[in-house]
Amino acid sequence: MAALDLTPVIPLLPFASFLIALLVGHFYPRALPKGGAVPGILATGVALFLAAWTAVAVSGGETLNETVYTWVAADSFELTFGVLVDPLSSMMLVIVTLVAFLVHIFSLGYMNDEGETGLPRYYAGLGLFSASMLAFVIADNLLMAFMFFELVGLCSYLLIGFWFREEGPPSAAKKAFLVTRFGDYFFLIGVVAVFATFGTAKFVGTEESPGFPVLAEHALTGSAEHVHTFLGMAPEAWFGVVGMLILGGVIGKSAQFPLHTWLPDAMEGPTPVSALIHAATMVAAGVYLVARIYGFYALNPTLLAIIAFIGGFTALFAATMGVVKKEIKQVLAYSTISQYGYIMLGLGAGGYVAGTFHLLTHAFFKALLFLGAGSVIIAMHHNENMWDMGGLKEKMPVTYYTFLSGSLALAGIVPFAGFWSKDEVLYEALVHGLGGMEAGYEGALLLGAYAMGLLAVFFTGFYTFRMVLLTFHGEPRSETARNPHGVGWNVKFPLVVLGILAATVGFVNMVPVAELTGMEIEFLHKWLDGPIHVTQAHYYGELLHDVAHIQAAEVSSLVAGAVSLALALAGAGLALALYRGPAPEEHTEKLGSLKTVLYNNYYQDEYQVWLAEGLTMPLARLADKFDQGIVDGVVNGVSTVSKASGRRVRKVQSGFVTNYVAAAAFGLVVLIIAAGVFGGWLL
Amino acid sequence: MVVAAQYYLLLAAAVFCIGLFGVLTRRNALVFLMSVELMLNAANINFVAFSHQYGNLTGQTFSLFVMALAAAEVAVGIGIILVLYRNFKDIDVTKATTMRW
Repeated sequence: MAALDLTPVIPLLPFASFLIALLVGHFYPRALPKGGAVPGILATGVALFLAAWTAVAVSGGETLNETVYTWVAADSFELTFGVLVDPLSSMMLVIVTLVAFLVHIFSLGYMNDEGETGLPRYYAGLGLFSASMLAFVIADNLLMAFMFFELVGLCSYLLIGFWFREEGPPSAAKKAFLVTRFGDYFFLIGVVAVFATFGTAKFVGTEESPGFPVLAEHALTGSAEHVHTFLGMAPEAWFGVVGMLILGGVIGKSAQFPLHTWLPDAMEGPTPVSALIHAATMVAAGVYLVARIYGFYALNPTLLAIIAFIGGFTALFAATMGVVKKEIKQVLAYSTISQYGYIMLGLGAGGYVAGTFHLLTHAFFKALLFLGAGSVIIAMHHNENMWDMGGLKEKMPVTYYTFLSGSLALAGIVPFAGFWSKDEVLYEALVHGLGGMEAGYEGALLLGAYAMGLLAVFFTGFYTFRMVLLTFHGEPRSETARNPHGVGWNVKFPLVVLGILAATVGFVNMVPVAELTGMEIEFLHKWLDGPIHVTQAHYYGELLHDVAHIQAAEVSSLVAGAVSLALALAGAGLALALYRGPAPEEHTEKLGSLKTVLYNNYYQDEYQVWLAEGLTMPLARLADKFDQGIVDGVVNGVSTVSKASGRRVRKVQSGFVTNYVAAAAFGLVVLIIAAGVFGGWLL
Repeated sequence: MVVAAQYYLLLAAAVFCIGLFGVLTRRNALVFLMSVELMLNAANINFVAFSHQYGNLTGQTFSLFVMALAAAEVAVGIGIILVLYRNFKDIDVTKATTMRW
């Protein structure tokens, strides 16, 4: 049996564990071992095995691109569920199943051992979350992707609000749901626009009926007869509009400015859920979508520049906020926003491989950091304030060294994973920015994004090591930090696996080393040049060059790498200088009012609340008045008139036979007289 | 002796008006039935009178039909009156007003 025949089963396994946890947990909870953790671990473990097998098969040149089920077959278009397995999706399958598997194991330590209640609900949520993300990853068309995209959002709502009896989590869950839904609204319109424009939403399609990115390319390079544009726009401009609509969903899910505000609040959920959301599922879904339809985005230099600029700006913006936070998970939340900014920057700058590479490395080191933070939080009896920690290095060495590995990767210190990917992202932004300068404003936007991304490297190094030093070094600053709660194997095992990966996974794509030594070790580049021509990294490069007309300048990747490494080291060094020693001070206090602004997240929440309450509410009230007063008024008026007249007229029906007979006789007489008068024989 | 047709018509009109008057003024359902019979028979008189006047039998045939109809009407009418009595302990038509607004 071929591996790819089993690929569609991968999302079904966690779905089965979801059903088991839900149904058995509801009807016969005693039969559920570990509150549903065991089915979850088994399902994600087997899914991981299948995903790895799929990846091996894909590296052997196999692919899968088929429709599984057609649920609407109209004349002009079809709505289908299908499976698309190519290098990108198989890589993502491995990431998601691995992180989901480790998160399930970690949950044993974080939830079961801590005596949480409602575990079947928790594991059902995790199972559905993994299942919807996996189905999203292997989706072969935009509509299916959208449906599972929404399901991912629903699961994050359920899991962030897991502790629904407390005050914070339900409100955070609602916020996450609403903010991402705001973006998804645009995505939905984008899906409809894609159908209306191309008549298909397939990513790849077949030779005879290609997917919409290929149709878009044909429309721009050849004849535009097979596409319908709207609002009287030329195909180029209209594709830009469609791309921006889909980008709305991406910005919401991947927490890019200005829809990033939900993510820090999402820290209210259980920490393993945060790891899953940030590393592999929810937030990754947005950027994965951009990579999935990269053939569409690569056609339009303006769209690319906008993506890159949003990414670069978000990277810097979030990194500055991460500098002043007190809670360990808050720092990590802002680092996630910032790192996804880098991925967007890489994709927008034309670095398809670079962005995907950063998605890969970030998934591992961010899952690691969150699980490490979870371990610290267990040890600290659920106190997340870093100023109460300190000195945990000796007490929990496994957590410390794995966390350090993840931190080095996050800060981008050679040779840890984050260095290679972040470096490549920045390198792509630089070369395409310089190369695009001649073409026009796109080059300037890319260079601006590059500058912000580069500056963010410094802040990343700083906040990462501030976090490490405050948490693990110095003297313990509270009683719980002096006597931390121990953690078991189920916490240490995922940490060790991810710690090793965070240190080593970057070796799959060492571009500067390849340039230096001339060795062909850019494995990820080769991997992403997979068997399906229209999803090859190589093909995207051609689109970028021939259709979008973005050129790459000649810059040594060594120089770019050295600059970003120097900045990362400078940031880390500053943190070391300020926060080392047994009792570090709160240096961020010296920033004065700037710290207040940063600590309040640039008042982003306030202005969004104002948008909702000060602007949308009165508008909604006005619309409500119109609806209640005028629309309903007309309807109610009609019914009032007919009711009142009915009440009068029904008196005619007296119920006395005599009256009816009298009326009939009177009518007959009137008829006879009328007939007589008009007939001429009477009078 | 031949009686002119207009006398028959006057008689029929008088009988019909008596029937109509009965329906309009009385409240007893049985009297209603009788009054309806009167009106039907007024029509019969007309039929027979014209049949005699023109010398063909169509009108007399029709009057037979009307009698059959009147018999059927009485059968149904008596049934209704029985039910009326059972439900209201009375056959006054003005009392049966429970279905009214």
